[in-house]
Amino acid sequence: MSAGASNPEYVNARVRSRRASLFSDEDYRKLIRMGPSEIARFMEETEYEREINELGARFSGVDLIEYALNRNLAKHFEDLIDWADGRLYDLIARYLRKFDVWNLKTIIRGIYTDTAPEDIRTDLIRAGELEERTIDRLLETDDIEDAIEVLYGTIYYEPLTVAYEEFEETGALVPLENALDREFYENLLADVSGGPGDEPQEGPEAKYIEFLQAELDFRNARNALRLARSGADLDPATYYIDGGVLFDESELSRLVGDYDALVDHIAENRRYGDRLSAALGQLREADSLIQFEHALDAALLEYADTLSSIYPASVSAVLSYILAKEREVENIRAIARGREVGLDENEIEEELVIL
Amino acid sequence: MGPEAAQNIANGYGAAAAGLAVGLAALAAGYAERGIGAAAVGAIAEDDDMFVPGLIMTVLPETLVILALVVVFILG
Repeated sequence: MSAGASNPEYVNARVRSRRASLFSDEDYRKLIRMGPSEIARFMEETEYEREINELGARFSGVDLIEYALNRNLAKHFEDLIDWADGRLYDLIARYLRKFDVWNLKTIIRGIYTDTAPEDIRTDLIRAGELEERTIDRLLETDDIEDAIEVLYGTIYYEPLTVAYEEFEETGALVPLENALDREFYENLLADVSGGPGDEPQEGPEAKYIEFLQAELDFRNARNALRLARSGADLDPATYYIDGGVLFDESELSRLVGDYDALVDHIAENRRYGDRLSAALGQLREADSLIQFEHALDAALLEYADTLSSIYPASVSAVLSYILAKEREVENIRAIARGREVGLDENEIEEELVIL
Repeated sequence: MGPEAAQNIANGYGAAAAGLAVGLAALAAGYAERGIGAAAVGAIAEDDDMFVPGLIMTVLPETLVILALVVVFILG
């Protein structure tokens, strides 16, 4: 945690200005009709100009778009961490650690498949809390065990050490990746709330916790629905993340076996039932998991937006910006990839999350 | 204590009260400007055109101090 007073006013002013310059629905409609190189040219005239120019000599087409998006995302989120002080820094960094988790997973996978450090480097999104130096040292290792040693002193060291034994037995990366995910999600709520029943009841921080719980719940719901749909014989408890309000572990294990009961359970929840009613209806009829996942994303984004208008000068506006920016990057990537493989406009539109 | 001395003491208290009023108003204005100024600098950093609106918003709480000064003149 960084010391000093918090500065939500400053960060909010900057974030809201950047939020306003994100792509609009109109821009997406234009992008859907373009090919990859046209998209890159379009991006060159927007706020991605610098990244496109920097990377334009080395990459082209969809790769160029993808790397430019990642780099731009990293730049903006790093700015957030730079600006924020005190409590606000703590709240933002806590959430942005998901990029640390992403980077660590990428590096571990890279080491596992003997990929060259330079190739791994291009796939990293440097928006997290881990220092550049640590990441460089991680890239130099060629053994997963050494990589874990480099992380000594971070929150990831202990869970990874435990998971490494399982990895040695099975040779599969799943335990390591699960350990990282769980560590991230379980740390999200740690020391913000004093544990169940002892959370702040009102004020911006209570809303922040509500938002994180929604994120946890949606993550659990998504995993549960995927498991229920795939019919795979996996133990749902392995994927359960503690801290949400929608399921507890035994409920989840029971519900995964019964798809309809699972959907009913989400619909009956007071907090989410109304918010997701449209998506749940679709899920019952259309059997499309992707639609539902997009509905979850949209619901989370809308949720963050509502929060940021309840408490204007708090961390909520920053969260809603983070989500909106991520959505933009994912949308542009989906459009570019979709055009590359020749999907038609309607199919691509289904892949987008637009509010 | 004669009536003149009593009058002097009363005037002294009045002046002290007026001073206190201006001081507190200035303190409150400063506190308000802290947040607004931070937000204004943030907005200007993103967009130079925000300089004038930012400046105006930042000095708005100064009206508190001006009103307090008016009170001083009315009382004085």
